[in-house]
Amino acid sequence: MTLLKSAYQDLEDIVGPDYISDDPSIQDSYAFQWLAELVRPEQSHYMPRPVAVIMPASTEEVQAITMVCNKYHMKIKPISTGWYHWAGPIKDEDDTLQVDLRRMNRILEIDEKNMFAIVEPYVICAQLQAEVMKRGLNINIIGAGASTSIVASACAYAGMGPSTYWMGHNSDNVLGMEWVTPSGEIIRTGSLGSGDGWFCSEGPGPSIRGICRGFLGSRGGLGVYTKCAIKLSHWPGPKEFNVRGTLPAYRLPIHENFRVYTLAVPSWDAWADIYYKIYDNEIGYIFHRQFTLAGADLGPALWLILNDHTKTLNDIEEMVKRSDIKELTEELRISFQIILAGRSLRDIELQDKILDQVLAETGGWKVKRFCEDDMAEFTNVYLQRLGHKHLNFVWVGGYLGSWMQPGTPDFVKKYVPIAIKGLYRDAAGGLLVQCGGDALMGCGSTVAGGGWSGLEQFVSYDPADRESIKAGTKHMEDAITDAISNGIPPGKEAIYLSLGYKDEKIWDTLANSQQPIIFHFQRKIKEAFDPNDIGDRNYPTLPEDY
Amino acid sequence: MTLLNYRADALRCTRCSYCKWIPFDLMKSWRFSKGCPSVDYNHFHSYSAGGRLVTALSLLDNRIEVTDRVIDSVFKCQLCGSCDVTCKMCRFDMEPLSALRELRFKLVEEGHAVPKHKSVMEGFRTQNNMLNKVKTKRGDWADGLNLRDLSKDKAEIVFHAGCRYSYDNDLNHVAKASVSILQEAGVDFGILGKEENCCGGRAFNIGYKKDFVTAATKNIKDWTNAGVKTVVTPCADCYYTFKRLYPEIGSEIKVLHMVEFIDQLIKQGKLEFKNSVPMRVTYHDPCYLGRQGEPYIPWKGKEKKIFGQVVIYEPRKPRYNGANGIYEPPRNILRAIPGLELVEMERIKEAAWCCGAGGGVKEAYPDFFTWTANERIEEASSTGAEAIISACPWCERNFIDAMKEGDTNMKVFDVIELVYKAIRKEDF
Repeated sequence: MTLLKSAYQDLEDIVGPDYISDDPSIQDSYAFQWLAELVRPEQSHYMPRPVAVIMPASTEEVQAITMVCNKYHMKIKPISTGWYHWAGPIKDEDDTLQVDLRRMNRILEIDEKNMFAIVEPYVICAQLQAEVMKRGLNINIIGAGASTSIVASACAYAGMGPSTYWMGHNSDNVLGMEWVTPSGEIIRTGSLGSGDGWFCSEGPGPSIRGICRGFLGSRGGLGVYTKCAIKLSHWPGPKEFNVRGTLPAYRLPIHENFRVYTLAVPSWDAWADIYYKIYDNEIGYIFHRQFTLAGADLGPALWLILNDHTKTLNDIEEMVKRSDIKELTEELRISFQIILAGRSLRDIELQDKILDQVLAETGGWKVKRFCEDDMAEFTNVYLQRLGHKHLNFVWVGGYLGSWMQPGTPDFVKKYVPIAIKGLYRDAAGGLLVQCGGDALMGCGSTVAGGGWSGLEQFVSYDPADRESIKAGTKHMEDAITDAISNGIPPGKEAIYLSLGYKDEKIWDTLANSQQPIIFHFQRKIKEAFDPNDIGDRNYPTLPEDY
Repeated sequence: MTLLNYRADALRCTRCSYCKWIPFDLMKSWRFSKGCPSVDYNHFHSYSAGGRLVTALSLLDNRIEVTDRVIDSVFKCQLCGSCDVTCKMCRFDMEPLSALRELRFKLVEEGHAVPKHKSVMEGFRTQNNMLNKVKTKRGDWADGLNLRDLSKDKAEIVFHAGCRYSYDNDLNHVAKASVSILQEAGVDFGILGKEENCCGGRAFNIGYKKDFVTAATKNIKDWTNAGVKTVVTPCADCYYTFKRLYPEIGSEIKVLHMVEFIDQLIKQGKLEFKNSVPMRVTYHDPCYLGRQGEPYIPWKGKEKKIFGQVVIYEPRKPRYNGANGIYEPPRNILRAIPGLELVEMERIKEAAWCCGAGGGVKEAYPDFFTWTANERIEEASSTGAEAIISACPWCERNFIDAMKEGDTNMKVFDVIELVYKAIRKEDF
């Protein structure tokens, strides 16, 4: 794939020579993407190379770049912080221009009174959170963590995290988008489109949030989002994180009107019950099943290792043999984390009492070791800032997510035993990390106020070992089979795997889905906004004859 | 080790981009949240640690050839180690900073050095210093101080001034102040004067590993001949080189930075501050004293897998992640000086922003080192401090040079200067 000299010149004229490159080393650094090895031929770690990488500094430059892509029939693929194999070009046969948005990195406004912020695509969650906390406000940081782009999670992909229960999903929190469509038009959504500012995503003005992002988002397949307004929530904590401790065991002291707990229950039925009771009683600020991502068998030891900066993974073999750790591991087997935040000391006392009652009614308990100061303070910073999310990869550098079908806790608990059994089975040969069958992590709720949850199986494989990679791919295929044979739709793994499929296989899957009409409707949307087909298939459609 | 030893690191990189930021838990503002000067200035992913690992992998797998862009992206980096800290926040199986150095060794060995570095290295080989100054003038800073000459005499402690403090006339009063403080405290020491050689650390960092070994071998031999048991240096680059690199080639000599030594002297009651130094200051952690100034721990071992695929190392591998750098001694000193008020910047200790001078950037990329330094000066100014204090001549030189093009009244001092002001009435 090479870029025509005339196209390169047209693009260089837009951004200047310092902000475009087609050097192979630059191309490769964008082709190299996490998860590529699971879906690419020969377990290659590289997605297809972009023909060039370009870095615009403004919406107008994005628009001009889009017009050049239309002129030369190139795919356009935006990337902000970039963390997934679908962030790069997808198909070898396409000429794809990678648009790196890192120069568009400003917080344009924080409207304290109306509780929203306007940001560009390369503003990350940690930056905005640090700024808005000074004003007594907070943001919903998605599960992928502090390093992610707010615009990406608000406009183009998913959008839930540990604080979604309190603060809402970012598909709800987005209050206005500035969208450069694949045809090069600049559309400002909601009230912004009628000149009334950024306060409402649904108008007066173009009410097209569903078209732009829906639930999962178009993942860069339907144009470029260049700004958005994001709703802010109240923050009853300190204006600044005064973190203490020695890295990586940073700790955030617990403010007097906060409580940080790791809770456990005796069964998955009790797990569903306690989730409902937490929803119904409207307690909690951060609500997440976090620490099981490292596996229920090894996780407890790992978290204690991380909380002691003198320890390494070498300590884990001995630790898991200790009787106290064995007891702790059993105590934590069905566990999750909750952070309560009170608007006043009386409020937090009330929430505490309610939580105690909920625990009594469900047979649950506070896990003493993980509620002691050191672990509670570590949990506090971990879940408030989500700055350790790269621990997803702690075992060996490769992790894939399977399952994660969202639904009520009663629905989720149906697939939990299947997922646990499946991971024990697939890791038995030693090609995947054997950290326990339950490496299920997920938000307390994926919608504001509770009611809907989901658990993602964290499967760790070695990206430097081809056999381990193959085992990872096979696990995903097995998880799909497990799900379908139990009457459950496929989970996250199906999205991962589809990146490696031919178009026809994807169309067959979409055509056999429960509502194929959706993808025909999306084709019509694409025809309207992307007549020259410069967006990639991350925005899924079905051909007319399917 | 060769670059091939780091192939697994490259394959296990997840492109999370943590290497571009300071640890997220420590972020206090949008403005001072970045950790990597290289990618912040040059933008493309290849200018981050993660991007360079991809470049290394692509070179190893013959997907790409060495182009001007490859050379630029590999060398336009201070090797400040911020990436190493943030990567290891969550990972035990990655060594990005070591991998970047190996990538430089490979390019230099294959004839792809940066042209400006080549001329610096010519001076290194003929004059034994990184500033291309005349070798015989290296000890001039000590003229008239009546210091013991360890090229002829013996002592257990050698004061090693380093290239910058020896030759830089704007800064070599710090070397004079250092020896004056040692004398004041009654320390028995000597210097090598014009026979002192470059530590070789900067040569190592720009990819000239063999030249480093030559310099290190000669220094160790000179010290051994003079009966030296401890080397004391005011230079953070020299400190890192002696402490972390020399043991790899057999040195067992104890290494102390002047700030560590002064901190000890204060605690032992051997230094008395007689004068007030009324000043509001902020302290800049030098990369090679701070996050890269951790103690050396010998290790030779191999990767092992447990629980199927969990990576550990046999025997246990030392973890250099910035947790144990030299952060408190300079702060202890500053807090002990009467009248001095220490205010902190947002990015400190393991999260400190680089001054811009390291990794051969000072020698080859003037716009980049100036920009990097000005970023730090702006951060220092935001604290309300009137002076930025450091413990490294390269940081200080870089700040002074950058300020020539900026609009600031910020002063630059070494910790040692302030100690000198506090113990002696006369100026230099």
